[in-house]
Amino acid sequence: MTTSNIPPFITGRRSFVGLSAAAFATVAMTACSSGSSDEPVDVSTQNVGAMEGFAADTQFTASEPFEVSMLWTDWPDVPVKDSWRIFERIKELTNVDITLTHLPFSDATEKRNLLISAGDAPTVIPLVYTGEDAPFVSSGAVVPMSDYIEHMPNFQKYVQEWGLTEMIDNIRQADGKAYMLPGLQEVSVPVFSLVLRKDVFEAVAGGIPDSWDELREALLAIKEQYPDSTPLADGFEGQSMLNFASHAFGTKAGWGFGNGLVEGEDGKLAYAPTTEGYKQLVEYFRSLVADGLLDKESFTASNDGSGAADVSEKFAQELCFAASGSSGTAIEFAQALDETVGAGKHDVGLVPPPTGPAGSNVEPRNFWHGFMLSSSITGSENFLATIQFLDWLYYNPDAREMLRWGVQDETYTKAEDGTIALMDGYSLDDFDINTGAGTDIKIDLGFSTFPAESTESRALKESYSTPASIQYIDDVLTTRTPRDPYPPAPLDEAELEQSSLMATPLKDAVDTATLQFIMGDRDIAEWDAFLGELEAAGLQKYVDLINGARDRFAETVG
Amino acid sequence: MVIEAFQSERGAPAPAPRSTRVKDSVSYRVFAVVNILALLVICAIMLYPFIMLLAQSFSSAGAINAGKVNLLPVDFNVDTYKAVAQNGSFWRSYGNTVLYTVIGTTIAMVLTTTYAYVLSKRHLRGRGLLVGIAVFTMFFNGGIVPNYVLISSLGMKNTMWAVILPPALSVFNLLVMKAFFENLPGELEEAAQIDGLSWFGIFFRIVLPLSKAVIATMVLFYSVQYWNDWFSAFLYMDRSDLFPVTLFLRNLIAGASTATSEGAAASGSTVNAINANIQSVTMLLVLIPILCVYPFVQRYFVSGIMLGSVKG
Repeated sequence: MTTSNIPPFITGRRSFVGLSAAAFATVAMTACSSGSSDEPVDVSTQNVGAMEGFAADTQFTASEPFEVSMLWTDWPDVPVKDSWRIFERIKELTNVDITLTHLPFSDATEKRNLLISAGDAPTVIPLVYTGEDAPFVSSGAVVPMSDYIEHMPNFQKYVQEWGLTEMIDNIRQADGKAYMLPGLQEVSVPVFSLVLRKDVFEAVAGGIPDSWDELREALLAIKEQYPDSTPLADGFEGQSMLNFASHAFGTKAGWGFGNGLVEGEDGKLAYAPTTEGYKQLVEYFRSLVADGLLDKESFTASNDGSGAADVSEKFAQELCFAASGSSGTAIEFAQALDETVGAGKHDVGLVPPPTGPAGSNVEPRNFWHGFMLSSSITGSENFLATIQFLDWLYYNPDAREMLRWGVQDETYTKAEDGTIALMDGYSLDDFDINTGAGTDIKIDLGFSTFPAESTESRALKESYSTPASIQYIDDVLTTRTPRDPYPPAPLDEAELEQSSLMATPLKDAVDTATLQFIMGDRDIAEWDAFLGELEAAGLQKYVDLINGARDRFAETVG
Repeated sequence: MVIEAFQSERGAPAPAPRSTRVKDSVSYRVFAVVNILALLVICAIMLYPFIMLLAQSFSSAGAINAGKVNLLPVDFNVDTYKAVAQNGSFWRSYGNTVLYTVIGTTIAMVLTTTYAYVLSKRHLRGRGLLVGIAVFTMFFNGGIVPNYVLISSLGMKNTMWAVILPPALSVFNLLVMKAFFENLPGELEEAAQIDGLSWFGIFFRIVLPLSKAVIATMVLFYSVQYWNDWFSAFLYMDRSDLFPVTLFLRNLIAGASTATSEGAAASGSTVNAINANIQSVTMLLVLIPILCVYPFVQRYFVSGIMLGSVKG
């Protein structure tokens, strides 16, 4: 009875997502008719506040103060405060006042889409990942940023300096324009990889395994030494491990499955599960399960937010010795081991993803989250100044340092060799820097929040990383090769809708069968039958659709 | 009233001596035992999550993560309560929720009782149309984005009215109340009219005092609805200082699980998981007030609903 008591438009989350998608489509079409033009705006006439002679690596200061409205995600552990020093500092430096619209982190994407759909989004829409701009292309709700890159000297400079030109081409949409600008990373390494109990691997297996086959041998040795253990686990439903393993098998799986298409043999895209690499990947993990080396429970238990918590317990009990995770997971495991084995009596660390039949491939170089601009700004007299301001905020090296560390000689000091240290009284608890000092530069002052991680040079990344993380970055960069990204195949609006209808049942079938094969619940001899099921679920039509989009894009962009 | 009559019959003194009492049959006694046992099991199932939550709120995060906490706290401490008590955002959201609930329920009750009373008058011209207008909204609505645009253009965004006014008239409650009013004896109102009372006088001095059961039930419905509502605030509020505590709680719980999802993980953007004990304390503090309302309203609850739903 209470449910019928709910007013008609107060919905549950699930129906809300569906509803918002439908509603979005409607308004996207409406917005379309409200006059988006293909012609870029002549920004020289909308230059109030813009800086004369704005160039790369120079401080942007608006010639007249103006306001920029911005979405800001309200993290549960870092509630945003308008009184944060970061906003004051940005104003001191640039003459720009940032006004915020808060998004609860739990449903940030839904609210963001709603605001854009309703034409009510603030000017700057941050925390946008590559590809997330696709649904807004046809509506004209967001500005095609690629039309205005000429006014962004910092962006241009670092794209070139860090060798990202080709990657930038890949973020263009079906009309050949890029609607979001990503965060740039000088170096990009997989965040998730294998976390190992290094001391046990060295003592029992004679070293850290470099390949998946070596890992298997090492796990067998450990299993022999610790018969009660199931030495390998994944606290993320297997999605994380399949993801970083897939690159070494020349395919895509887990978190990185995406649209599921990889480069096929005939120069066309092929569906990953139909490739030999995917079958090898599944067979490899299947054999681990058969030998009792892979914790089945961790592959099937739903990840309810506790992440790797259960695995950390198994680590602590010495029932598990290798698992997927990030550098944070490694710290979590080490803390759990301190309680049981004792501090200093173990060595836990992140190692590069093992190599496999496809070589030492890891995921392709990656962009970080960037931003979109709401198209309402195109009518503003501050349009040019806003573009310049964002170019400075996201890509200027001094701005990046400010976003991460705060104010030089107030919150941090920088030695001549570039070493950065927090001043007394300031801490950055997230990275265990000066823990316990009175003021946390993140929670109390607003530095080191999400804008800080968007664009980073290698030096800046290393300035707050632990020696173990720096070692990991170095190991990956020296011993692994980022796989080439697959050529883009951006879809137009109708195709987008079609493809999501076709891709969902295919992905469901793949997920189910992959797990069944790995767990040994389905005979591997049925692999061809599984491929037949995919065919019956409309695989060919889906692959043709994406291949068509890819060919068209190649023609458009050239 | 039916229940009262029933109770008075059962509660009547039974002077008959014990020896003459008709013994319950064996099958009845078996049924009673099974019945009681079944109810106890159901009761335990209902209570279990609350007790577990209570135990977790007094336990350390480590013990909860290790799965050691069940019905009793492990590593008993009240540190989490202290931590939550010092959290300014939590109490600000809590205050917002109380405000939205009190004002919202008051407005909703005014609208619902007056509209229902009008609709209960069979001689009212256009009554069918008025009912139709209300019922129409049960089946059709503009959708999220048009509603959002409407509320924005009415200037209600970032005000409490965006949360309070849209759900202030629940058609379900309206129909229950209308049916209740229709069942009140017409003669009472006629007598009041003859004695010179106006329509408003009748409504306030005769009808409302006779409708305590349904009013209590509706107050409960509305207050629970306002207390639990996070979605309107999520849609219409852009400032976290206006958020109700349910949105704060949602961010705390759903946010922590979203953080470990694909997008966040793949991008390396992580969030520090909020400790399970903090989640428990917050949940408990959000639950308690609305849970306390139930025992007081319960005695009206069954009669309010039943009388409203059965006509004639």
